[in-house]
Amino acid sequence: MSSTTISARRGPMAILARTGRMIMPAIVLFWLAMAFFGYWVAPYDPAGIQDADLFEGMSRKFWLGTDYFGRDMLSRILAGARYTVGISLMATSLAVASGVLLGLAASAIGGLFDAAVSRFLDALISIPSKMFGLVLVAAFGASIPVLVLTLAVIYLPGCYRINRSVAVNVAALDFVAVARARGESTLYIMIREILPNMVGPVLADFGLRFIYVVLLLSSLSFLGLGVQPPQADWGSLVRENMPGLPYGAPAVIMPAIAIASLTIAVNLTIDSLFGRHARDGVR
Amino acid sequence: MNATIGRLLLTRLVAAILTLWFVATVVFVITNLLPGDVAQELLGQSATPEAVAGLRKALGLDLPPWQRYLEWLWNMVRGDAGRSLVNGSPVAALIGSRLGNSLILAGITALVAVPLALVLGITAAVYRGSVYDRIVGAGTVLAVSVPEFLVASAAVLVFAVQLRWVPALSQLGRLDGVLDVIRTFALPVLTLTFVIVAQMARMTRAALVDVLSSSYIEMARLKGAGQARIVVWHALPNAIGPIANAIAFSLSFLLGGVIIVETIFNYPGIAKLMVDGVSTRDLPLVQACAMLFCGAYLLLVTMADIAAILANPRLRHR
Amino acid sequence: MSVNDKDILGMLNMSEQDRLMRALRSGASRRDLLGMMSALGIGAALGGTLIGSAGSALAQTPKKGGKIRVAGFGTSTADTLDPAKQSYSTDYCRCTMFYNGLTELDDRLNPKLALAESIENDKATIWTIKLRKGVQFHDGKELKAEDVVFSLKRHHDPAVGTKAKALADQMTEIVATGTHEVKITLKGPNADFPVVLGTYHFMIAPAGTTDFNKGIGTGPYKCKEFTPGVRSIAVRNENYWRQGGGPYLDEIEFFGIPDVGARVNALLAGDVQLIGNVNPTSAKLILSGKGFNIMETKSGNYTDLVMRLDQAPGNNPDFVLGMKMLMNRDLIRRNIFQGYAEVANDQPIPPMNRYYAADIPQRKYDPDQAKFLLNKAGVIGSTIPVVTSPAATGSVEMGLLLQQAAQQAGLKIDLRQVPADGYWSNYWMKVPVGYGNINPRPTADILFSLFFASTASWNESGWKDPKFDQLLLAARAETDEAKRKQMYTDMQVMIHQNSGIGIPVFISGLDAHSEKLKGLRPMGTGSLMGYAFAEHVWLDA
Repeated sequence: MSSTTISARRGPMAILARTGRMIMPAIVLFWLAMAFFGYWVAPYDPAGIQDADLFEGMSRKFWLGTDYFGRDMLSRILAGARYTVGISLMATSLAVASGVLLGLAASAIGGLFDAAVSRFLDALISIPSKMFGLVLVAAFGASIPVLVLTLAVIYLPGCYRINRSVAVNVAALDFVAVARARGESTLYIMIREILPNMVGPVLADFGLRFIYVVLLLSSLSFLGLGVQPPQADWGSLVRENMPGLPYGAPAVIMPAIAIASLTIAVNLTIDSLFGRHARDGVR
Repeated sequence: MNATIGRLLLTRLVAAILTLWFVATVVFVITNLLPGDVAQELLGQSATPEAVAGLRKALGLDLPPWQRYLEWLWNMVRGDAGRSLVNGSPVAALIGSRLGNSLILAGITALVAVPLALVLGITAAVYRGSVYDRIVGAGTVLAVSVPEFLVASAAVLVFAVQLRWVPALSQLGRLDGVLDVIRTFALPVLTLTFVIVAQMARMTRAALVDVLSSSYIEMARLKGAGQARIVVWHALPNAIGPIANAIAFSLSFLLGGVIIVETIFNYPGIAKLMVDGVSTRDLPLVQACAMLFCGAYLLLVTMADIAAILANPRLRHR
Repeated sequence: MSVNDKDILGMLNMSEQDRLMRALRSGASRRDLLGMMSALGIGAALGGTLIGSAGSALAQTPKKGGKIRVAGFGTSTADTLDPAKQSYSTDYCRCTMFYNGLTELDDRLNPKLALAESIENDKATIWTIKLRKGVQFHDGKELKAEDVVFSLKRHHDPAVGTKAKALADQMTEIVATGTHEVKITLKGPNADFPVVLGTYHFMIAPAGTTDFNKGIGTGPYKCKEFTPGVRSIAVRNENYWRQGGGPYLDEIEFFGIPDVGARVNALLAGDVQLIGNVNPTSAKLILSGKGFNIMETKSGNYTDLVMRLDQAPGNNPDFVLGMKMLMNRDLIRRNIFQGYAEVANDQPIPPMNRYYAADIPQRKYDPDQAKFLLNKAGVIGSTIPVVTSPAATGSVEMGLLLQQAAQQAGLKIDLRQVPADGYWSNYWMKVPVGYGNINPRPTADILFSLFFASTASWNESGWKDPKFDQLLLAARAETDEAKRKQMYTDMQVMIHQNSGIGIPVFISGLDAHSEKLKGLRPMGTGSLMGYAFAEHVWLDA
């Protein structure tokens, strides 16, 4: 078997693999773009009642059919990206950023600070997340800032735990001891020595946590505590169109697919990124 | 060995009491911030100011919050969780009537989900990098990415409404024999398994892969130990810590986190009791439930830590 | 079917035919059908012919026996079998199995005698009630005057915590004047008193009852098991006093399923045979399945747009009228309620009520006229906040429709959806423009007194009219039906024209059942045959 045939056989496979790798980031980028522009791209007014039947199937006029109230489903999903992607992204970023900061600080400062923060967050983690969300949202109303903060607070303890353990591991490595011996300040060590070596695990954690945030937001919406009508995130879209499920209405299936495509794409994208970073880390 | 575990138990007990107190206080503060109180919720549309004031007085809600808090705390210390503001029956009795149901559901789910997750995780770790491993990885992400209310509703639609293999409701009133138990619990257990298997399986795989790539496993392999023997005798005991922790975390979810499953299958569990408590602003009930969930979590985590100590010779002899 | 009979069916319009045929299919008895016919304006002779030939093949004789399982809506540890304390539909369903009242209400809310043999009154103030003889409670004791006195007087004891205090307070004296005769004196004249006695809370339990969880009454079923928040099991009362009808079933298991999706699935999966409170979107699904049927009960339940007349912008009559004209009633009926509603005319008496004023011209969706009026009120170009909530059925969707209509007229509506929790205390009747939801009341008098009298604490829009108040008192004392009807008509016109509420539709109650379950028919008193389905249903196994 000559080398040319091998490369020829590899060619299409490689292209396939390469495009396969490209699809996931493309989906992530698409939903990100929709989070910003979805509302304007939508073919119809997402809240406008169209001259259509309820739970209409897919048609040339309404690509993804209509919902329980005769509204265009495609427009509602595109406009809903703003809430699902936006809220989840903000909440996850907030949770991960605070988790990283606190974890870093706990590992670098240690002692009483470490113990106090750890115990406090352990107490938070012990309250079931849906219950905690339920109570917080009921107390402060289901506005978007409240939802972002609630989701962030719920996932902060988990982030902290992981990041603290990673940071503690890194802090025990030789080059950190060397930096300490050089007499560098705690802040310098945190930012210049420990943080750059945490990127991989932090990103991997971000991916899984993002799924949970998206799902918890959907669950809250299912319990009627998510984004409030006439706005709707994807979870609310699934919930409000639930009666269409027995007909296999796209109104209930499509937003669910949107949720799954977003979470899977984010994870696989980060998995591939994480692999590269891990190799970089070995350097 | 006993000293290590004894010390661990003692410190955990002290920490648990403090944590429980902290959680109850947080819940008290937040539920006091909720709009509307139990009097308004009970009266609904007929909540005229006089009626609300009267009911508040009758329920002792006219006292300032700190006074109610101290009273509740004192009763709690004496082991009395108080009475429900909605129907006057003791909170302990209300919880008692539902806790059993929740434990049954959690127990059956654990019996199905934990072995499944372990098998998936271990095999994926053994055949890491293979197509099988990738399928398990993608499959678990997919399973965890679908909202559970969709899984539950679709399952009811297919297996109960269309095929009529199982009932749409999971009622405990009429269970005759093993087949009935299986039929009753099939759908809720299936749904919950979807939710919790992913995390346990991923954690198991990660922990095992870590151990399998360590030097002493290499050593055992060089000594000519078989693959199965290596995994079960050498690798698994060292990976128990993270695996047990992941299992503990998933199981604690099975008590308070199953509200959606309880709603869809009309299962009289404890999560719904707490949600009812929140919506009627039944403070003593909400606090007791929150403390119960918190206590269960702490207990499970402690058990996981003990399991790790017992399984790992190095930790055992420290 | 002979030619003759087809002609008779041809006299009816489509929906009436449909109703009749459905009643026949669901096993309505001959008596039920004759009742329906006369309601449709068909004489008994003609109706008899129709049933005789066409009906007998279809109308079936009820069969005895069988067990059913029924899922109501909502259940909690507060479930009760104490007639005075009933607060949810599940309580009503159970209490109608185990108890009877002195009177009961028929499908047009007229009082009929039940445990009472006769009721006489003096100037609508002093009422003498003779009791049916030989009626037995479930424990074998005979019904006597003392039981009635006990059951009614309980409502005056604050420790009982009755839900019917407002209605009970009018009785100043309740005494036994014989073993089977009771005299009740009212505070003031009330020609509707027999209706009051037919409401759920005034059912009769044996004198001296302390433990109501046993459910001992005179009703068609006996209580075998009752656990609040879980379920009740009722078994047939073989000694039921009423002859020639139910109860038919051996046993009824009754419990609550709060989630509507779960309730519908339970029916479709065959776990239960009857469910209460279905939403319009599920109705379509249930009808598409084989072997299931929907029972629509027209009711006086309404969700209304409330504009406070004592605050801006509602203090401008042009604004109020303009907003009423912006309500697209047909679209609300069709899109939100899938046709399971009746268009209403901004007054609260539903068409099935005998005092319904049919002659008031229907207010229509008129965007042009609305635009003119809103412009006159000076609100065009401004933004009006409107509060909606899931607490008021359908208000969220009604708000969306109103917003769209207003936009076309040049008025911007800022919709604020607030949670159901605390809605009635914190928003209802407090915000300048919002929504309310009013459950049906058994009489026009009760409805008007609670929601439209100047001093009523639930006067939603703050509408005050001394002339209305005078009419209300006069109508209550009036025993001449014709005069009374005229008074109630005048009052409906006043509300239609001047009050600050817009009532777009009356919302029907929807129940669903297996086609094997027969004997169900809609009753004006409420869903599930006025919650009294137990006595009438039978199983065609």
